[in-house]
Amino acid sequence: MEEKDFIQTLLDPKTQNVAFQQLLKEYQRPLYSLIRNIVLNHDDADDVLQNTFVKVFQNLKNFKGDSKLFSWMYRIATNEAITFINKKAKRNGITSEALQSKIVDNLKADTYFDGNEIQIKLQKAITLLPQKQQLVFKMRYYDEIKYEDMSKILGTSVGALKASYHHAVKKIENYMTSN
Amino acid sequence: MKEFKLDNEPKITSGFTFPETYFDTLENKVIQRLPKKEAPVYPLFTQRKIVLFAIAAVFIIALSIPIVNVIKVKTPEIDAIILENYLTQQTDISEEDIAELLNDENIKHIKIDVKIDNSELEDILISNPDMEEYLN
Repeated sequence: MEEKDFIQTLLDPKTQNVAFQQLLKEYQRPLYSLIRNIVLNHDDADDVLQNTFVKVFQNLKNFKGDSKLFSWMYRIATNEAITFINKKAKRNGITSEALQSKIVDNLKADTYFDGNEIQIKLQKAITLLPQKQQLVFKMRYYDEIKYEDMSKILGTSVGALKASYHHAVKKIENYMTSN
Repeated sequence: MKEFKLDNEPKITSGFTFPETYFDTLENKVIQRLPKKEAPVYPLFTQRKIVLFAIAAVFIIALSIPIVNVIKVKTPEIDAIILENYLTQQTDISEEDIAELLNDENIKHIKIDVKIDNSELEDILISNPDMEEYLN
């Protein structure tokens, strides 16, 4: 089924529920991965992912089809995750970078983290980046999203994204070399 | 010190995991959180109109009850002349019957204004021999 037809089934009240279940099945894992890499904690990722799908459902009627369905959903998920982490940092009276640094420091104790030293070290290096560079690096390196798609999700030019990623990699490599 | 080059290293994964059954239960959790279909909303105006009509109907019925009762209770007044004619024409009712219904007080109040000539009175007395008994 073409995306245009699938969107129609999502908008039609008669077929909406079945189509939405299909959408859930298809996107739950990639969206979870995207969100988890931003918020770092499983429980928080679960909350944000559920909120994302609820928002997608509520806003389906406003989806005009100007962009691809996946980029529209990824945009909602990214915004939800960033809003969540910023709010959580505000509640704790710290910056979002400081909050992420704190979470990474406690990764070893996290039930749902099974990484080694180098994985923790990379996470620490990422927390030192500005928020936009963090986002670009995670989307490109962990989630392997193409620059063209990322451009549609973040509304940033491909050139600017490539530059962001390049700067991020340089900083990470410096950190990994010197620590 | 060995320079770290991200592209030269094997891919470093995030190391994040999740509960085994997480994606089996997620679908239900999300569906439970979806807004339910709104119950049909009936316009307030229509309901108000029905209520107003009902109130008006109750008032009309309530107000009409005394009127109906008045109409039911009302009996036609008997005209005096009709009654008089009825009594006159009813041959079964004799003067004695009427006299029985009157007591002494009633009789006293009856003013008889009869002008009878002496000659006429004489004729009546002559033609009615029984009168002698009364005169005595």
